[in-house]
Amino acid sequence: MYTVLIVDDDPAIREIFTIYLEMRAYRVLTAAGGRECLDLLNTQIPDLILLDMMMEPMDGWETLLAIRSRSASRAIPVIIITGKEATPEEILQYGILIEDFIVKPVDFKRISASFHLIIEKDQVLRREIERIKETEQDPELPGEYTHLLRLVRVAKNLMARSRDRPWADQIPLKKHEERLQWLHKKLGFPDLLLQRDEIE
Amino acid sequence: MSQASIFIVEDELIEAEDIRQTLEKQGYTVAGSARSGESVLELLTTIHPDLVLMDIHLAGILDGIDTAGKIRNLYHLPVIFLTAYADEITLGRAKYTEPYGYVLKPFDERELHSAIEMALYKHRMEERSKENERTIRILANAIPDAVMLLDKDRNIISQNDAMARRLGLDYTRSQQGCACPFDQNGMFPSLELKIQEITSSGRPIRFEEKSGNEWFEISLILIPGLEGRNPRIFVQFHDITAYKRFEEQLKKEGITRIEHNMEQFQILNDQIRNPLQAIMGYVNLDCVHYRDRILEQIGLINNLVSRLDQGWVESDKVRRFLLVRYRSASDDFAPDDVSVPSPGEKSKGV
Repeated sequence: MYTVLIVDDDPAIREIFTIYLEMRAYRVLTAAGGRECLDLLNTQIPDLILLDMMMEPMDGWETLLAIRSRSASRAIPVIIITGKEATPEEILQYGILIEDFIVKPVDFKRISASFHLIIEKDQVLRREIERIKETEQDPELPGEYTHLLRLVRVAKNLMARSRDRPWADQIPLKKHEERLQWLHKKLGFPDLLLQRDEIE
Repeated sequence: MSQASIFIVEDELIEAEDIRQTLEKQGYTVAGSARSGESVLELLTTIHPDLVLMDIHLAGILDGIDTAGKIRNLYHLPVIFLTAYADEITLGRAKYTEPYGYVLKPFDERELHSAIEMALYKHRMEERSKENERTIRILANAIPDAVMLLDKDRNIISQNDAMARRLGLDYTRSQQGCACPFDQNGMFPSLELKIQEITSSGRPIRFEEKSGNEWFEISLILIPGLEGRNPRIFVQFHDITAYKRFEEQLKKEGITRIEHNMEQFQILNDQIRNPLQAIMGYVNLDCVHYRDRILEQIGLINNLVSRLDQGWVESDKVRRFLLVRYRSASDDFAPDDVSVPSPGEKSKGV
């Protein structure tokens, strides 16, 4: 049974997401803002975090950076579900830190079906990274792989969901994908990690 | 009609007297007379005739031809030569002083009269033409745009000061064209093509071109020559660099403003998207238990729309006020006729 943490300042959102997740047999934790989220992470480590962007006083990006900078929570997969579109600068800057970026409103029933896939892939990735540590491989590579894996997934999902993204040209997706493939081979990671999981 | 005044330069007294009498008979005024080149030059400082009649062979150091040359250059007066015989060498030299005519001695009275009238007329025309040229040059030099005249071989026939500066020409030469091919440095690559275009079409052309860090609006006009030969091309360079930079800045600012507005709009989006998300979720659960929740979220959206409506109403009030206050005389409608429905009126009750 997996644990999901929902971070959103709107109580209706917290409630409705909780209902759907519990229906799918997830254990659900909630936080109304960044501060509460970080406090919670001191004592509990969820398997997945759903993060909103438009919050006060700590906004989503700030919270995300805080999560990623603490060793306990560094590796927890984060999916952003928010009402505001991302700018290309934000994608390039934060895309390497998240598993996906989804704009509300979403059919929560559908997307929650793929959460366990994301969690499992993340666990596989972590195991593989531990394994690599024992070998002679360059220690920088797994970090780069993780970043690229996330960036490519986020960018591709965003582009697939809305055709007229003007900023698509600003992200050299092909270059990143090629590098990702190369790293994947070099590190000998399982192909499961590269599988596309269509959330939408 | 006032007759012209004529100055006689003749060293033989009897000839001089004869000429004087003839002229006065023909109604001209004799402004004065002199017997040598030196004395006429001195006298012309104070006497201002319309024309000078001069014997080509004067005694003294300055003969007639040299004197005529000096009179042309110093006083810009028309000179008619009186000559006893057509001496080829003399006539050859005489050409260079640009005389307005020759009259052979002994002269025929009618011949003298018509020579004088023609010379006066020609002189008037030339002065007028010079005046026009002077005026054009003053005007051309006054404008900040660089302008030039090209011949069909792309040589510069003439240019104004601004153009001379741009081409790096010596100022003293800017009165005449530099007779050099234009655009030796290839600063304006489209110019050659445009010149070809105008040479065949004849219609004026205006286009924009960037050269280095500057932007120009370049105008070309074809000035057809006589019988279609030797056409000339007028080229004007109007500096629009500042304007282009301003345009770019506006565009950037405009884009920034749009982006800012979009950002504001995004924030508004969230206030709509969250309730919509919640509604979708509850509706999909399809459970009567959540009916209250759904209505609550609908209420939130309704409030939002009402607030938007209110904003619209406020701005409508402002609009009406302005219309009343600043109404022009030709306004078609009275303020009371302004009844634009606000956006919420149609969609009340989601």
